[in-house]
Amino acid sequence: MQTILTAVLEVAPKSADLLRTRIGALGSGKKAREKLSSTVPTLHFMSMSVFADDQYDPIFVLEANFDGRPGPFWAQLEAVLGAELRDMLRCCRAPRDGAAGLFDAVTRAGSRAPIAPLLEARTVWPAARHQGNRGLDRNRILEEACLFSSAQAQLNRSVGNAATSARQVHDSLRKALLPTFGWLDRKPPPRVSLWEGIVDLLRFGVPILLLVAVLAAPGALLGYRVSGRLSVAVLLGLVSLLACLGVLAIALRWIETRDPPQDDPVLDGARLRAMAQLEDQITQNHMISLAHVKPGILRTILVRAGLFVVGHWVRVTAHSGYLGSMRTIHFAHWSLVSNGGRLMFHSNFDGSWESYLDDFIEKAHAGLTAVWTHGVGFPPTRLMLRDGATSGGKFKAWARHTMNESQFWYSAYPKYSVNQIERHARVASGLRKRTLTEEEAAGWALDL
Amino acid sequence: MIETEPSVSKSWKLEPSIAKQTQGLIVSAFGDLPLADALFLELGPQAGGAWLTELRQEIPISDATGKGCSAAAIALTWSGLQRMGLDAEALESFSPPFREGMHQLDRQRRLGDNPGGPTVIPGGARWSGNNLRDGGTQAPAGTTTPCTVHVVLLLYAKGETELDDQARRLTPRLEQGGVHVVHRLRLSLMPDAKRVAREHFGFADGLSQPMLYGPTIISPQDPGAEARRRWHGIPAGEVLLGHLNAHKEAAPGPVVAATSPQARQHLSAHGVSEGFRNLGLHGSYLVIRELRQDVAAFWNSMGEAAKSVGDGASAQWVAERVVGRTQDGALLRPDGATQPAAGADGNDVGFAEEDVQGFGCPLGAHIRRGNPRDSLPSRDGPNPDLKPTKDLLSSTNSHRLLRRGRKFGDEIKDRYVDDRATRGLLFMALNSDIARHFEFVQQTWMLNQAFGTLEEETDPLMGPKGLFSIPAAPLRRCVAVETFIRFAGGEYFFLPSLPALDYLAALPPAALPPAGAP
Repeated sequence: MQTILTAVLEVAPKSADLLRTRIGALGSGKKAREKLSSTVPTLHFMSMSVFADDQYDPIFVLEANFDGRPGPFWAQLEAVLGAELRDMLRCCRAPRDGAAGLFDAVTRAGSRAPIAPLLEARTVWPAARHQGNRGLDRNRILEEACLFSSAQAQLNRSVGNAATSARQVHDSLRKALLPTFGWLDRKPPPRVSLWEGIVDLLRFGVPILLLVAVLAAPGALLGYRVSGRLSVAVLLGLVSLLACLGVLAIALRWIETRDPPQDDPVLDGARLRAMAQLEDQITQNHMISLAHVKPGILRTILVRAGLFVVGHWVRVTAHSGYLGSMRTIHFAHWSLVSNGGRLMFHSNFDGSWESYLDDFIEKAHAGLTAVWTHGVGFPPTRLMLRDGATSGGKFKAWARHTMNESQFWYSAYPKYSVNQIERHARVASGLRKRTLTEEEAAGWALDL
Repeated sequence: MIETEPSVSKSWKLEPSIAKQTQGLIVSAFGDLPLADALFLELGPQAGGAWLTELRQEIPISDATGKGCSAAAIALTWSGLQRMGLDAEALESFSPPFREGMHQLDRQRRLGDNPGGPTVIPGGARWSGNNLRDGGTQAPAGTTTPCTVHVVLLLYAKGETELDDQARRLTPRLEQGGVHVVHRLRLSLMPDAKRVAREHFGFADGLSQPMLYGPTIISPQDPGAEARRRWHGIPAGEVLLGHLNAHKEAAPGPVVAATSPQARQHLSAHGVSEGFRNLGLHGSYLVIRELRQDVAAFWNSMGEAAKSVGDGASAQWVAERVVGRTQDGALLRPDGATQPAAGADGNDVGFAEEDVQGFGCPLGAHIRRGNPRDSLPSRDGPNPDLKPTKDLLSSTNSHRLLRRGRKFGDEIKDRYVDDRATRGLLFMALNSDIARHFEFVQQTWMLNQAFGTLEEETDPLMGPKGLFSIPAAPLRRCVAVETFIRFAGGEYFFLPSLPALDYLAALPPAALPPAGAP
């Protein structure tokens, strides 16, 4: 089970540049990454950035994607980067809510108070999230990758040349690897447990059913009152539901046709350059974006509804890592910040930013459009789902406009794509089995 | 890049009114003119447009209306347009990759062109536009080239004498106008005895071309046209600026302010905001890369690889898997058979249904990386999660290139013996969105170490030395391949429409020195 979260703090405007420098210092060297890799064994991806915004003071965002519960993670992180993080927090502004005391305790001169409680208090949970290699914890990903390369080395050295059948390849490979990879004899935990699956389904289904019931209730009650027959109640309930949805659709179209888009947003050259310099250094890339949410009560409701449906739909259906027909996302999530006034997006994905956006434009635009259509300036949409992201050029310009460079970004497995991790998992899963049928072995050997 | 059997009925054409305004290179590779010269020109400072008028009087630039016994095409780099005195606002309206140039630091990394890298010639690339955008006059080390190119002029003819004649007449007139030929490549498309035009490694080349369609295109009506359009069809705006592209937008191009009489006289107001004229309409971006090929290294490496495969595999067997086609151009199929080359229907097939595992055309073969058709994202093992859909094919097809490249240098005598001669391919491709078309193909497909489910492999033909796996039952073969192709120079060019050329030719010579001019 993986956790995805962000901690968000307001930055003292005058200290924003210093904070950028402090984060950048961590990002430029290898040391911090090496320490994270060796001492935070639960961490998959992490980023830290200062988001500038014309309308607000900057914010400091720490994004983390890790195995298990937050408690142990924060403790591990503090052990590795406690001093650096404390210096970063000193560039932030004291919260004006209940966390003010915590902030003082953490940031006062010479303080040794743990920083984890402050970060926990400032945690924003994702409103919608997606995970590519669901249920694979970091160590399993690394171990299976190691198994895969050992298997390749074995095949190229000896086993491969003598292969006459796939079963024989399996047997000799397993025999050769078992001494080093003793865990092949142990059964791995299920990637998504039955209980987790049921919880996902209930979290999605129950609110939807409740909503349907509420919308259908006026008609159903009236029908039952007037006729006393269940069939009439159901029929009028349905009418009531459809009428509500119809009114909603009309209201939505009304505001959609009056929303001012921003076809030609200003793209700051220096910021674009800063992003380009950081991108395409490893197999994966990172994207962070902060968009303002359009005003009005309908938008306030619909942005949450969009996030709810998209997030839960993906959670229930996308177990194999495919989002529509794209499979390049390790961890991605949206969250609402600034009292719901801004929509924050983080993604850790494979390949170039251009290819990532093209995938959305060409393959998986509906879900994305359903959420980002509520962002100020987003290309025009129809009923939340159509158009929008399919306007490729406008969408790319809008996305870049909302983006910021990721001043610090860490990946625990910088060499591996979602596809490769799944390939490693399939090879490992075959090697865990003592014997395979010839047919199973033939299928399994395709991944070698 | 070659239509081996050019046949009028099978080609798409532009509407006559548009064809008159469009350069012929867009619709034709001039396959019936087997010889060509690529002349790379450097302009004098503040050259203005007069040289272009001179040039066009000597060599008319071909339009797209029909065939002739010679042809010419012209395209300019961003720095060339700057030298011609195009104003700063217009220069800024070009797409970022074109403005920054192919050699910009971050772009070099993405395209695999880092100086000192294995796929760049020793000493670094020789020529580029030297756009020098970052920081004005100072470019970071390794991003400039000794030779600066502002213009490429492509001359096509039937024989050497015609070409030599053209150059002899043209060069002095250009020199008078302060324009120098700084680099020159003699290009050839000569077919062999089998009537196949081959690149230097010996493979038939340029077989898969996209087929443009849309309201501005006259589509062919032959019986095979429907199948070709299904597999290779792309909207006209994927190549032509100002036309509707695959992302449902008019492909964005450069504009100029309508304040000057020249702009109002030559350029259309179609598709641009009030106060502007469309400089890009019916034009395109031309990507040019000079790629040197080491033929002996290729065939010797194939020989070594064949030995490691055993089972009596030959160098040719491995080479054909590296490319994904037989030497004569037939697509490799999983049952061991091959299909007829392009021209027949053999190229109008996908991989998802017939060759999902790559038993015919390997998953990482050069042509499969260059155009994965309906096979991305790759499906898992024997039980595919996904069924091939129209979406997957059209998504791949929004990254196609209209290729116009030709080879340069003499053929090698013995393909196993290095004769130290310079030879290779002048890669030329037309596209409307350099980032989504050329750069995407190079970065996301060709050189991507995580292409599909492959691992630690890049394109076996174009990439640096490494491993290449050939799917087979019961077990894949894995061979080592060396570096065969090295980048020697290149740039992004703007291929203007004929009215845009008229406008550029009318630019006054003594414009103010443009900001950041070299």
